[in-house]
Amino acid sequence: MDFVEFLINRGDDMLELGLEHAAVVGASVLLATIIGVGLGVASYRQPRSREAILAVTGAFLTIPSFALFILLIGPLGLGFLPVVVALTLYGLLPIVRNTITGLREVDPAIVEAALGMGMSRGQVLRQIELPLAWPVIITGVRVTTLVLLGIAAIGSIVLGPGYGDLIFTGLARVGTPVAVNLVLAGTLGVVVLAVLFDVLFYVIRKLTTSEGIR
Amino acid sequence: MSTLVLTPERLAPEPLHAPRRSLAGYLAMPAILALVCLGLYLYVTAQQLDSIESRALTATALGTAVWQHLQLTAVSTVITLAIAVPLGVLLTRPFARRLRPYLLTLLTLAQAVPTIAVLVLLAVAFLFLGFQAAVVGLVLYAIIPVLLNTMVGLEQVDESVLEAGRGMGMSAFGVLRHLELPLSVPIILAGVRTALVINVGTATLTTYINAGGLGDVIVAGLSTNRVLVQVVGAVLTAVLALLIDYLAGLAEDFLRPTGL
Repeated sequence: MDFVEFLINRGDDMLELGLEHAAVVGASVLLATIIGVGLGVASYRQPRSREAILAVTGAFLTIPSFALFILLIGPLGLGFLPVVVALTLYGLLPIVRNTITGLREVDPAIVEAALGMGMSRGQVLRQIELPLAWPVIITGVRVTTLVLLGIAAIGSIVLGPGYGDLIFTGLARVGTPVAVNLVLAGTLGVVVLAVLFDVLFYVIRKLTTSEGIR
Repeated sequence: MSTLVLTPERLAPEPLHAPRRSLAGYLAMPAILALVCLGLYLYVTAQQLDSIESRALTATALGTAVWQHLQLTAVSTVITLAIAVPLGVLLTRPFARRLRPYLLTLLTLAQAVPTIAVLVLLAVAFLFLGFQAAVVGLVLYAIIPVLLNTMVGLEQVDESVLEAGRGMGMSAFGVLRHLELPLSVPIILAGVRTALVINVGTATLTTYINAGGLGDVIVAGLSTNRVLVQVVGAVLTAVLALLIDYLAGLAEDFLRPTGL
């Protein structure tokens, strides 16, 4: 069967799996951003906790995804949940690292001036430091999203949602004509999602970056 | 009876000549990994294994899986670096400068292509299976991050240093050889570490194209529905990956030129 014909025939499947894939990655990125920025903000001023947090989140990223998915079956079972937890753990490092880098790159003279004007630490953080660090933070979120889109496909091993399903079904039918189409369709789906997410982040970055540093 | 002979205590770091972290910082990771292995060993020996489990968890079976895994990782890392580092140097030369933004976007997006898709495509589209297919798949996947790393690293070399080199009459090649490359050693070492970590992780998936590795143990556990076997495979995979990352981190700390 022709690949294009295959895609048209499976159009509804492709759309449904795409929505699932985007949902599981979107939820994980959101969680990783909340936790990651929180950890970054909490630790960027203390070298010790900063090093510790970077070491631990780095270790998460080092654990092969296949192994982590399997280890999470025990406590979390199969399906959506272990995939979201695994992806969130994987997503932390780039976000924490960029948050810390972004916050540390803020010119100390600006912070000094703000404190001199009588702003509290919290105000300085919310009104000065985070807005200035934001472009760096959102770049971390973007990189995380692209990496997680790929890893999410492996989540199919624990019956997770998304395009991994097509890839593993293709693998199971190796040797049949439909196998190549299945795998190609799964791969294409992930790449299309990657482009869409990238465009989304470009727009978000434009809209949320404070006017003075655009 | 199962025996796990893979505890990493013996690989504890040698006496440190120029500590960049505290001694405790260096010893923490091997100590944790040794404890995990010991805990796993004690847990497994305390279990009553059925025939499937005891066959999957012999020292020979696990040793073979680890050895295959290490071979896959080592071979694919060497090939990845041999391709990605020179390519990174080439793509940062002036003639490629206009392509750069497009190339960076393309490479960043390409990172989203799932590893498993690359491996499975080799299998289903070309019926290419086994060790060589796995190496091709691993290299294809790992090239992108290492290439990105090298390109960004070379560009971070201070332009004024290069200008000074040219002003002293160095040729373009001389600048690359005597200034850019030595100054990029930390970035290249980081690339080695990245490639190792990615390959040791991806090598877990090569079991799906009959290339062995620790993924074999996990999949054996999955297909026979033996949780214990799955967990042993997964824990060993994680320990091996963390150990390799740790050793690459040591190399990064100690091979860095002292002037930097």
